[in-house]
Amino acid sequence: MNKRSFAPFLFVGPHLILFLVFILLPTIYGIYASFTRWNLINDPVWVGFENYRTILFDQDSSFHFQFFNGLKNTLIFVALSVPPLIIIPLLVAVALEHKKVKFKGFMQAIIYIPGMISISAAALIWSLIFNKQLGITGNVFGSEISWAANQPYAWIIIIVISVWGAVGGNMIIYRASINGVPSDLYEAAEMDGAGPVRRFFSITLPSIRFPLIFTFVMTTAGAFNVFGQPLMMTDGGPQQTTHVLMMYIRQLAFGSGESVAGMASAMAVLLGLVILVISALQYYVMNRNAN
Amino acid sequence: MVKKISISKYISYLFLVTICVIWVVPVIFGITTSFRSQAEVVSAGFRLFPKEWDFNNYVAILENTSTAPILRWLSNSLLIAVSHTVLVVFIISLTGYGYTRLKFKGRDALFFTLLGISFFPGVVNLIPSYKIIEALGWVNTAWAMIIPGLAGMGNIFLVRQFMKGIPGELDESAKVDGASDFRIYYSIILPLVKPVLIVCGLFSFIGSWNDFLWPVIVYTDVEKMPITAGLLLLQDIYGNYRMIGQLMGSAILAIIPTLVLFIFAQKYFLQSINLNSGIKG
Repeated sequence: MNKRSFAPFLFVGPHLILFLVFILLPTIYGIYASFTRWNLINDPVWVGFENYRTILFDQDSSFHFQFFNGLKNTLIFVALSVPPLIIIPLLVAVALEHKKVKFKGFMQAIIYIPGMISISAAALIWSLIFNKQLGITGNVFGSEISWAANQPYAWIIIIVISVWGAVGGNMIIYRASINGVPSDLYEAAEMDGAGPVRRFFSITLPSIRFPLIFTFVMTTAGAFNVFGQPLMMTDGGPQQTTHVLMMYIRQLAFGSGESVAGMASAMAVLLGLVILVISALQYYVMNRNAN
Repeated sequence: MVKKISISKYISYLFLVTICVIWVVPVIFGITTSFRSQAEVVSAGFRLFPKEWDFNNYVAILENTSTAPILRWLSNSLLIAVSHTVLVVFIISLTGYGYTRLKFKGRDALFFTLLGISFFPGVVNLIPSYKIIEALGWVNTAWAMIIPGLAGMGNIFLVRQFMKGIPGELDESAKVDGASDFRIYYSIILPLVKPVLIVCGLFSFIGSWNDFLWPVIVYTDVEKMPITAGLLLLQDIYGNYRMIGQLMGSAILAIIPTLVLFIFAQKYFLQSINLNSGIKG
């Protein structure tokens, strides 16, 4: 009897401790730190809502500028990267389901492979592609542009590398879900004379509603955490127009000057709230429209 | 009717082939550029394959053990990713067993509380996580990347779903025979959940190998960092001198391990994602 009551701790306990130390504790501390002045060395000093007031309302503060510029750029990234990350994998999945298409496994593997490549390695490779003198854009397409140093090209290269890297994951989810749609639905529609486009909108899309909502919410939440692509492709330039919020947060907390971790924590909490609100909204609206 | 079908077939092919070309050409160009001599790299003019294959970039990369010790970085990454993966598989199977097979008060409530908390955006705990790692003395050590990721809930959720599908009679009868919980976990449940553990393990390996934000924060020591953080340094070291061939060689070395893993374990990455959809993102 005694042994039984001890068993749960042996099985669940190790993870519970890890969870408390590496998720619960830092989350609570992160919220607390957002109400403090903190340089990561001394103990944080409670300042109430001062950080939030500075970030949100103090027009003269550089933190105010950084937060809104970072948030604006993050939102631009989300708005530009999420639609192709839903539409392209969906089209690929549908095209791969075509009965007469061959080499499906091979093409699927090729499209999936960038998902195996780290952001830093991918950024180095794509920097070469977009290099004015040495790359493909310059030599094959004759473009004279320094992509990373001019807008809107700086955004284009960031979006291209992001889409390239992440299409595979959603593609697999859509393929699996489309495979699960009963084939007699398609056969019946075909007999009624519905063409491929009609079948896509009337059968495929409604049948994979849940995976669509799921990938939409997850892809969006992931896009808000964008960091590596702009850091390595443009370093936030030109003129901080691709400087995203995660880059400011890291810079303020861990950059070369004295750490302003309290301010950075407040920005992190605000970003977290934006992510939560948008995820909830997406889920609510999509689920509602679907019913 | 027949004509219609063939049109959609050609549209499908056109679309897929275009995507595949865009997807694969950068990697090929990166590989071939790593085999170009510095003279050819700068002389420009587009050529997909080098005039002559030159291995000097790789020689130079491997000989630079001071500012960019790439073999060191690769072995750091390998140690981190392998240890992390082994521990993930152990922890998620153990914990999954606890949340499905053991009966204790508040079990499901505890599980869903943890799951709910884990949905809170991770950006909030980034800065304090660094402080915790510092307090544990793990800055610039492999532990900083091996341990914190074990706290996640996504994989445990999947394993729990999977284990719930295994009928209880199996372990009930073993229990009647006097088998301990650990024995049932080890010899009955573990073999049955192997497929989901393999998938979780593979994704953990890839995730750990490719992690970027966290290593950029916790490693300042060039000797101790993993390859992803190393490549960020390389961008300045080789990029400033326009040594594109060496930059590409380094990037290619960094992606070989995960590509090899993908080639051998393709079916796990591509086929079983329907049960895996929970961990993306």
